[in-house]
Amino acid sequence: MFGRLILASALFAGASASAQWLNITTPGIPRTADGKPNLTAPAPSTADGKPDLSGMWAATTEVIDRGPLGPTATPRYWLDLGPGVPGGLPYQPWAGDLRNARFAANSKDHPMTQCLPLSIVLMHSHPLSRKVIQIPGLVGILSEYNMMYRQIFTDGRPLPVDPQPSFNGYSVGKWDRDALVVETIGFKDGLWLDGRGSPSTDAAKVTERFRRVNFGTLEIEITVQDPKAYTRPWSVKVTQSLMADTDLLEFVCLENEKDRPHMAGK
Amino acid sequence: MRIAAVILLAVVPLTAQWLHYPTPGVPRLPNGKPNLGAPAPRTAGHPDLSGIWQLEPVPCGPGANFAGLSGAAVGPGCGGDYGAGREFGNIGARLAGGLPYQPWAAELVKQRSADFGKDDPVAWCKPAGALRLLTFPPYRKIIQTPAVTVILSERDVTFRQILTDGRSLPKDPEPSWNGYSVGKWQADTLVVETVGFRDGTWLDRSGSPMTEAAKVTEKFRRTNFGNLEIEVTVDDPKAYTKPWTVRLHQLLVPDTELLDYYCQDNEKDAVHAVGK
Repeated sequence: MFGRLILASALFAGASASAQWLNITTPGIPRTADGKPNLTAPAPSTADGKPDLSGMWAATTEVIDRGPLGPTATPRYWLDLGPGVPGGLPYQPWAGDLRNARFAANSKDHPMTQCLPLSIVLMHSHPLSRKVIQIPGLVGILSEYNMMYRQIFTDGRPLPVDPQPSFNGYSVGKWDRDALVVETIGFKDGLWLDGRGSPSTDAAKVTERFRRVNFGTLEIEITVQDPKAYTRPWSVKVTQSLMADTDLLEFVCLENEKDRPHMAGK
Repeated sequence: MRIAAVILLAVVPLTAQWLHYPTPGVPRLPNGKPNLGAPAPRTAGHPDLSGIWQLEPVPCGPGANFAGLSGAAVGPGCGGDYGAGREFGNIGARLAGGLPYQPWAAELVKQRSADFGKDDPVAWCKPAGALRLLTFPPYRKIIQTPAVTVILSERDVTFRQILTDGRSLPKDPEPSWNGYSVGKWQADTLVVETVGFRDGTWLDRSGSPMTEAAKVTEKFRRTNFGNLEIEVTVDDPKAYTKPWTVRLHQLLVPDTELLDYYCQDNEKDAVHAVGK
């Protein structure tokens, strides 16, 4: 049911009528003899010797039955993080009730239906693509959704002590051998971590381990520690595949937005 | 006043996070202050444009406002968190004779100013477009890599890409707010060409229009550590009688960081925006 409304606007509005720069050849990608990207080549490194996470990334999909949409390729854990966590998400009672109520209401109050930003957890599995930019001291994630970005500081600064709550929170990263370990605090209350409405609170601390296992694959292990909403910390691993020979397009949620009044619960 | 109040005052951060964190790599004077007159840094054989930048603000003082606006005044030019540059109000503020509007465009600007800019896309939380990302009071941050230079805007946590990997401009681009930008280095200047704009973007608070016929050329030159000159040429024969060129002088903002400002969050203003 969620798919009918929200994904209709999120997915189909993002489809571009004509494909611009979608057939350019991305420089720096190793190729097989027939010219195709060699996605199993080793992960690249930056000039300062760190693994280079740069590139266009697509969330790994699986085909699931989406009700009115039928079987549909959908990013894994995009609708529901539960299957990625052994035993399911350990909701506090209020959080489990809230999630169930949101799901029962077709997720009509999802922040995306109001063109609000994604939580950083949801950004990793959004159907619209992401581009990672990496320079010394900073990793940036550019999201096609609303042309938004997120910054991860790798210049050694500490986490802020009393951060002003925000959608992205405040992220600092350190390299642990071949993994970028990112810690984030300072979230706004009331963010949605998946399509069905698993909540997070302002007490959340998120740890992400980014590891580019080969040229074409990025693994992100996400650990959420939010004692207000969950009885214990939990982890989920999402994977992304490199999108070669293409680029980001503009997606502006508020552009000619007509969906919101039609959002209905049961 | 009303709309500018919405746009400007909504960005006031309550507490300053990382706002006093010393930016790594900034040359310092013996007293620890940034040496903004030091030479521009370089990366991969080119000047490095990276840093947080603001459009040179109108100096504070009695009567300071977005000088050069056609018609209605739109708010204070100083005070609050951000000073505003003249080109925020009117991108042609320093052009002798002003912008060379086609007659319909001049009429439109007159009407928009009379309406206090109530239909400004920005007042409706729509994108600002490529050029207004350079004139907004909220800061912008440039990230430069060999293949792409990205401009992150504090306003709406949004970005613009300038591709520098040698690709050519697309032939029949799908119209967009930012357009499609490719850049090439000519000596120490990054020359950026952009096409593929959607119709109906505003270039300033006065409502100077730009059409889908526009081609924009920008020359980015970091003259020293603390100063970035952006020379912008707009060639839009539908809206202007001839191409025009303005210079947007950006000042480095060291030892601070971008904060999230999201227009649509708790947005209650648009319904109150009225014209005359």
